[in-house]
Amino acid sequence: MTSLRRSIGVLTLLLAAATPALAQEQAAAGRIKVVSGAAFIVRGMETIPARAGELVFAADGLRTGEAGSVGVTLKDDTRLSLGPNSEVRLERYVYAPGTGGLGMVLKFVRGVSAYVSGRLARLAPESIRLETPAAIVGVRGTTLAIRVEEQ
Amino acid sequence: MSFARPLAVILALTLAAACGPKRIPAPSRPSPTRVVLLPDADGKTGRARVTNEFGSTDLTAERHSVTAPPDRRPGAAATLTEAEVKRLFGGALAALPEPPRYFTLYFQFDTDQLTPPSRALLPEILKAVKERSFPEVTVVGHTDTMGTPRANIELGLKRATTVRNILVRAGLAESLIEVTSHGEADLLMRTPDSTAELHNRRVEISVR
Repeated sequence: MTSLRRSIGVLTLLLAAATPALAQEQAAAGRIKVVSGAAFIVRGMETIPARAGELVFAADGLRTGEAGSVGVTLKDDTRLSLGPNSEVRLERYVYAPGTGGLGMVLKFVRGVSAYVSGRLARLAPESIRLETPAAIVGVRGTTLAIRVEEQ
Repeated sequence: MSFARPLAVILALTLAAACGPKRIPAPSRPSPTRVVLLPDADGKTGRARVTNEFGSTDLTAERHSVTAPPDRRPGAAATLTEAEVKRLFGGALAALPEPPRYFTLYFQFDTDQLTPPSRALLPEILKAVKERSFPEVTVVGHTDTMGTPRANIELGLKRATTVRNILVRAGLAESLIEVTSHGEADLLMRTPDSTAELHNRRVEISVR
């Protein structure tokens, strides 16, 4: 019984210790700088109209409609933009040089996008993963455009 | 009684529609993907490697492009014309945010005073911020490799905070500024550990 109580106590401590790490991961990853037409942030089950100045977080998706486009600049100065009828997900974003955390996974789901690498690509190019439906793109200090073709 | 049966039929159909497979998006065969390498803002062109489970293709020159099919290796790299790049990718390229602007500031040795050339950059920094509609300013402190990594994070943060205060005194809104430190993790000049190097003791500002 005492040992059970003790392990609950330990568990609580562990959870408390884990909380700051969670909070840190929820810091903003970047900001929307350019929007025209129908453009949205997809956050969990929510679809939020994208407005210039709005913050973007890790795990967010970006989606555009018929004549929409959107451009964001991430904290490490990576730039990302979507043309019409497009979708890209920021599956993972960690940018904490000095304390060790670096990494980004972008998933290009459909449509047309442009990517300009930032400091992440300079500090840890191997920590960046650009996924498309048919291939993975490895980058070294690069400007790219990606088009997922219609079936 | 007379419409109990049609009602039941409608109910059954509705349930079937709700529970049945939802509009299967045609057996999901992944889409082919086209990638093009473009020059960076400084005019140089980087490199990219497009890889799937069947093979990979390197893009090494401006407007080099490749299409990766989902079920075969990526094709050979071919160079697109500028008109083709615009036609295929223009919709996204037009929405890219402006490139960030960078400034590097140095301190006079062992003081918290900026060197005169660094001080002279201040008006230019404020101007770059004013030119943007949703500006953000990151102030990053860097150190050389003297001392421990942990102490250097602290030291970098101290330097960055000093610069933040200088920028605020010069008229920049404090809410736009984020202060961080990379310590000795992001050297401008590569050196071994425990090396005093003036060029690594700096504060980098990015305006985006």
